[in-house]
Amino acid sequence: MHMANELLSVPVAAGSAAIAAAGLGFICRKVRQIITAEKLALMGILGAFVFAAQMVNFQLPAMPGTSGHMVGAVLLAIILGPHMGAIVISSVVIIQCLIFQDGGLLALGCNIINIALVPSYLGYFLYRTVTAGPFNSLRAYVGAVLACVIAMQGSAALVPVQAALSGVLAVPFTTFLITMLGVHLLVGLVEGLITVAVLGYLQQVRPDIVVNSLPGKVRLSKKAVLATLVIFTIVIGAGISLLASDKPDGLEWSYAERPDQPDFEGIISNDSPTIAAADKLQARYSLLPDYSLRSSVIGDTAENHVEASAGWTSFAGVVGSAATMVLIWLIARVLRKKERLQA
Amino acid sequence: MHHAHIDKFAYQDSPVHRLDSRVKFIVVLVFTALVISLPRTSVSILACYAVGPFAILVLAGIPLRFVFKHILLVSPFVLILALSCPLYDKTPVSVAFGPFLWNTSVGWMRCFTILGKFTVTMLALIALISTTRFNDLLTGLQRLGLPRLLVIQLGFLYRYIFVLIDRAHRILRARAGRRLRRLKFRAELQIAASMLGSLFIRSIDAAEHINIAMQARGFDGNWRTLSKLQIRRCDLFFLLAAVVFMLGIYFFVKPILL
Repeated sequence: MHMANELLSVPVAAGSAAIAAAGLGFICRKVRQIITAEKLALMGILGAFVFAAQMVNFQLPAMPGTSGHMVGAVLLAIILGPHMGAIVISSVVIIQCLIFQDGGLLALGCNIINIALVPSYLGYFLYRTVTAGPFNSLRAYVGAVLACVIAMQGSAALVPVQAALSGVLAVPFTTFLITMLGVHLLVGLVEGLITVAVLGYLQQVRPDIVVNSLPGKVRLSKKAVLATLVIFTIVIGAGISLLASDKPDGLEWSYAERPDQPDFEGIISNDSPTIAAADKLQARYSLLPDYSLRSSVIGDTAENHVEASAGWTSFAGVVGSAATMVLIWLIARVLRKKERLQA
Repeated sequence: MHHAHIDKFAYQDSPVHRLDSRVKFIVVLVFTALVISLPRTSVSILACYAVGPFAILVLAGIPLRFVFKHILLVSPFVLILALSCPLYDKTPVSVAFGPFLWNTSVGWMRCFTILGKFTVTMLALIALISTTRFNDLLTGLQRLGLPRLLVIQLGFLYRYIFVLIDRAHRILRARAGRRLRRLKFRAELQIAASMLGSLFIRSIDAAEHINIAMQARGFDGNWRTLSKLQIRRCDLFFLLAAVVFMLGIYFFVKPILL
């Protein structure tokens, strides 16, 4: 689920980081108005609880050897309310990125949106809609399962969308989307079941937590949530349709494939045989196809001969870098040994 | 607490450890963005980029085996995506690499680019985290504009992660000692739920105790730290070196290799 740096382009990463930062800033200001200092420790500890809860695994049926664990975003949103839940899960995602290196630094914005903001608000909203009115345990359970499944689907769908917007995807968009949704349907179901089971336990032991929820919790206004959902859908829809319209150009990566496309080769082979020969030679020796294309478009033979050594240049680059690293390591080792001898 | 801290090397001392956390954070961020924005077919230049974080790690005295073990540990998702590239992009290319020459597909090159970028950016991130104490990093981030509430939240979270993970380990050991066979899914789920539920309630109770203790010591919702962050001459020197390194690769090495 965690996006990696490599799946994003810098504009998409920056854009989603800006959205996540704006969202978090807004939520922080809002929460700051409502809660007192007493709640700070509670939020921190519940963040740590999410980590600990991920250690508690249980075996899944039908798939021996696999085990599931709870993610906890929806549970926290139900019990703490969406704002505090979103902050807690965001902090969990940040720690996962910084301390455990799960998900990259550039992808942090995307991860906060996908894993923290969307499940918290979507899950809480669904749960509240289903369980509106006086507390009824059956309705609460149905609501919790529904909230988990749909929130998980929502955040799983965002991963391929962000990757596709970045244009990094080698896998076809629909394949990726369907795989993500399918896998996370199962994950969401398991998450829903365990959330319900935990809610049931809490209901028996500390019913005050489940029904009234902890003090300092905020209710969401339905209109605000609906408006956000609509805006979100429009933005995502616009993104996808943009993507679909320039699909032949945007998703397929433009340069490297073309030398091997028949019509493209036709253009090149129209020229003199020397160029064709040079082109072949240079296709043999270039590590970087997009570079070879550039020179073949220019069609300058002399330059092509320079390009023929591209394989050697990159070889030199890699070997030189490796040698530098070994040198650095050796120097550090010698220095450290000297230090130890002196000490 | 007897588990391996992931950032245990942050408490060592070296010239790198003493640098200002803001400078390090921004340098790593820019470096990551630079590496990610490389074209998708440039494999060899990644080796040049790797020199920077590698030098920092060696200078800071972080064991390289730890670093690579950790990169391997977090790689599965990226690994799956990288390995699926050759399946979808079979455009043939010939790759010349010094004396070697082989025919592969564009997909394989993308696969190696993704893995290379992953490794290089992870090197940079690990170099940041294992040379910076988390509290210093938080103070730096607060100066850079992270909301105060989030900083406090992260501070609390970091303080109690390992405490609660220990607690979870204890509960897990208790289950392992009592459950001697495979149970049905329903029973499994019920047991896991009561474990999680009791962990949850204990966390809430612990939060209450901590809150009382902190109030007794005058906690009013503001985080006060002793560490005074200031940019010194060595920070400026590091910044200069990093800028020269990145610009050097960008303007001199990249045109040759690409």
